[in-house]
This record gives sequence, C-alpha cells and structure tokens, in this order.
Amino acid sequence: MQILGISFDTVPDNAAFAQKFAFNFPLLSDTTRTVGLQYGAADDVKAQYAKRISYLIGPDGRVRKAFPKVNAAAHPEEILAEL
Amino acid sequence: MLEPGVEAPDFEVRDQTGRVVHLSDYRGRNVVLWFYPKADTPG
Repeated sequence: MQILGISFDTVPDNAAFAQKFAFNFPLLSDTTRTVGLQYGAADDVKAQYAKRISYLIGPDGRVRKAFPKVNAAAHPEEILAEL
Repeated sequence: MLEPGVEAPDFEVRDQTGRVVHLSDYRGRNVVLWFYPKADTPG
C-alpha cells in the first residue's frame, strides 16, 4: 500500500514539513487546487486549506472507499480494516 | 466526494523533493490519498 499525502502547500513548505517529521511517504503539492477540486477536498480554487478527507484507491485505479472525516489517530486502523 | 467504484482522476503534481508524481504511477497497488489542511499541523 502506498500513502500519498496531499495539500495546497508549496513544494518548499512540504519539504520543510517532511524534514521535520521524516515521513515515509511523499507529500504532494496541489497549489492550483486542481486535485482538491476533483476529489472534493476544496469547494473552489480560493479554498485556503484542503479538507481533512482521504480515499482508498484500488489497484485498478478506482475509488474503493471515501473517508469524509479523517481522524488522524484512528485512520491507519480504518484503512487497514478495508484491506 | 467521489463515490466508490468511480475511476479516480489521474493527476500530475510535485512531491516535496520536486519530483513529478502521477496517481497512475501507482496503478496495481492500493493507494491512500490523504488530504491534509496545512504543512506542519497535526493530523
């Protein structure tokens, strides 16, 4: 399983964030909100922050499950329960 | 939000090292796409 973190932050902001916490997954920069709009994490291009949502996407490239409210502490278990 | 069963839209973005990443790079694997509000905030 691959985790992809994504926000509207810039590449340098994400680089600093990644360096501080040594995440073992990529942090993606969607400054244009293009991905956020497509996935429902932003209501419009002026959205300041991405909503705290996530998706489990299957090996076939289709959405397996949408998580509209992510609780960071419980989320890994939620995801693993789906696999 | 996107409903289960729909094709997840492909995208092209950059990771924190500047590398170009496409969702389709991960075809064949389960992917968790995790939106977070702001770098350096919890959760």
